[in-house]
Amino acid sequence: MRKVLFVFLVLSIVVSLLGAQKLVINSYMSDPAPKKVFAELVEQFKAEHPEIEVTVNTFAHEDFKTLLRTWLNSSNAPDVVTWFAGERMRYFASKGLLEPIDDIFDGGFEAYFPGAFKSASAYEDHIYFVPQSWYWWGVYYRKSIFEKLGLTVPVTWYQFLNTCEKLKEAGYIPITIGTKYLWTAAGWFDYLNMRVNGLDYHLKLTNGEIEYTDEGVKKVFEYWKQLVDAGYFISNHTSYTWQDAANYLFTGDAAMYLMGQFIKDVAPESVKDDLDFFRFPVIDGNIGLYEDTPIDGFMIPAKAQNKEAAKIFLEFIASKEAQEYFASNLGRLAANKDVPAPDAHAQKGLDMILASDGVMQFYDRDTNPEMATAGMNGFVEFMVYPVRIDFILKNLEIERWRIFK
Amino acid sequence: MKSKKWVPYAFLALPLLMYSIWVIFPIFQTLYLSFTDWDGVSPEFSIIGWDNFKLLFQDPYFRISLWNNIKWLIGFAGVSVPLGLLIAMLLDQKFRGSKVYKTLMYLPMTLSFVVIGQIWSWILEPRYGALNSFLSIFGIKSVGWLSDPNIVTYSLIMAASWRQISYAMVLYLAGLKQVPKELVEAAWVDGANGWKRFVHVILPMLRPATIVAITVSVIDSLRAFDIVYVLTRGGPFYSSSVMANYMYIMAFNNYRMGYGSAIATIQFLITLGFIVFYMRNVLKKEEAL
Repeated sequence: MRKVLFVFLVLSIVVSLLGAQKLVINSYMSDPAPKKVFAELVEQFKAEHPEIEVTVNTFAHEDFKTLLRTWLNSSNAPDVVTWFAGERMRYFASKGLLEPIDDIFDGGFEAYFPGAFKSASAYEDHIYFVPQSWYWWGVYYRKSIFEKLGLTVPVTWYQFLNTCEKLKEAGYIPITIGTKYLWTAAGWFDYLNMRVNGLDYHLKLTNGEIEYTDEGVKKVFEYWKQLVDAGYFISNHTSYTWQDAANYLFTGDAAMYLMGQFIKDVAPESVKDDLDFFRFPVIDGNIGLYEDTPIDGFMIPAKAQNKEAAKIFLEFIASKEAQEYFASNLGRLAANKDVPAPDAHAQKGLDMILASDGVMQFYDRDTNPEMATAGMNGFVEFMVYPVRIDFILKNLEIERWRIFK
Repeated sequence: MKSKKWVPYAFLALPLLMYSIWVIFPIFQTLYLSFTDWDGVSPEFSIIGWDNFKLLFQDPYFRISLWNNIKWLIGFAGVSVPLGLLIAMLLDQKFRGSKVYKTLMYLPMTLSFVVIGQIWSWILEPRYGALNSFLSIFGIKSVGWLSDPNIVTYSLIMAASWRQISYAMVLYLAGLKQVPKELVEAAWVDGANGWKRFVHVILPMLRPATIVAITVSVIDSLRAFDIVYVLTRGGPFYSSSVMANYMYIMAFNNYRMGYGSAIATIQFLITLGFIVFYMRNVLKKEEAL
């Protein structure tokens, strides 16, 4: 009898071991705040699904971008990966490296998310991407500095230049930026191009349909040059990551930073409430107000081992509760349309987006990845050597021609 | 007794096999890829002939990388080896605390280039970094060691040389031990002054150490990668990149595996040239002695 029991016990252990589903998630949420919230979310998932054994591997953001391609191609791919919507996702989908996930949405994608998110999450006729959160970009500034100098939030380009000049005269660095990893410069390009040439033009440019040597593009750099020539940006910005540069804002040496909402993730408690943002200034009154609203989320590699568990996890991520938890703890906007803005700051961001005439993702998420690197390198080179702009644009045009031919 | 000529080959068989799989084969694989437009992701790609190489020679950033490798060659090997010799000569004297100094000078040698890169990122930080803080005592304004495209490569060579100097120093310290005291004393008796003793007696005796130090430094400067990756990733806008970094960025960040392979091929050929030159000239002479 004992023997039978023993055999039974061993068998049941074996069965439960075999039955235990595994789930490997590779995440780029390496800043402390999002890392913590995501870990809590995974705990909630584990409580709901004790049969699934979850492993989360976290990588530094910039390393993740390089490693992802290797994972997608490896036969031992992770089951779920964090990523960005738009071209960045579509590039992999077009190579057949992603798993379509249309079936996880009861009642279809639109039952969960705003219809506008669909094109950023789909390739050809399938959904490959679960949006989790999104955020707005704005010119973040220190309220206390503006108050001290009696400055009001600038609305037009002329007012913006004026604000910069007054800040400079008062001994502040008007604008901080860290361009070591290039993409921060793309924020300036996006906004200037959308304000100078409008959304259609910007869309065509990121699609490779407009030459980089076009007059419209040149005009963008003429506006940008006004800020560079006047010395409104911090010096040595190519040495800094975006977080390093944010310190200039937090210490009060610099007054403004064109950045996404996630700047609050790294802000010390003491200055969080002193940070506010305003809409990027209007350059041409005849052109609509357009904004960058990058969407972050998850996808499943085509070579994942445990697709079923992965889909269960993504269903969980798409749910109102999980989305609300993540967004409200980080002050971002949830992708799920049933989740309200988590706080007044986020409400202000949401209102700005709702009042806008159209949105893009971000330069490196809207254009081909190869073009994005070349472009962003050029933008940074321009910020250091504005006189080289013709050489830079000529080079970018060669790249565009090669990539989009 | 039976001939046992096969024995050495038997011992060599396994390493040779591994060498072929992990070194020789990938070289040919890279060569093949350099003629393709593979993006490193897609399962299919096409052969495009010499296009990658043609593009390469029109690419201004590749030219910068190549030129930076030459700067490395001169700065890294040409400066750190003589400096290592100078320090070795100084430390070879007996004085109080000479052991402590030797240990301190040797310390960088124990660190990897990645760690050295981290340390130097604090030294070279523009605002609070040690170097700029020191210079500010003399009223010198903040220098962008890693952000000024004109000086960034020299900053990187300086950081890398910190380690290489101690490497050369160790080689020379060992070499100096081999120099017979009697020889130096004989020269002294013959009336040779310090400089003459150094040039005509000591330096020729240090020839083996010099050859090793220069060879290793030249090869290291051609394959420089890690310190550049840690400190600048080749930036700003490729101004500090060397061929290895440019290849890495193209192949792994920009999805241009074929193009990256072409860069790797060029780098391989240059390095091969150096090795062949070295084998034919330096090693042959060594054997003749």
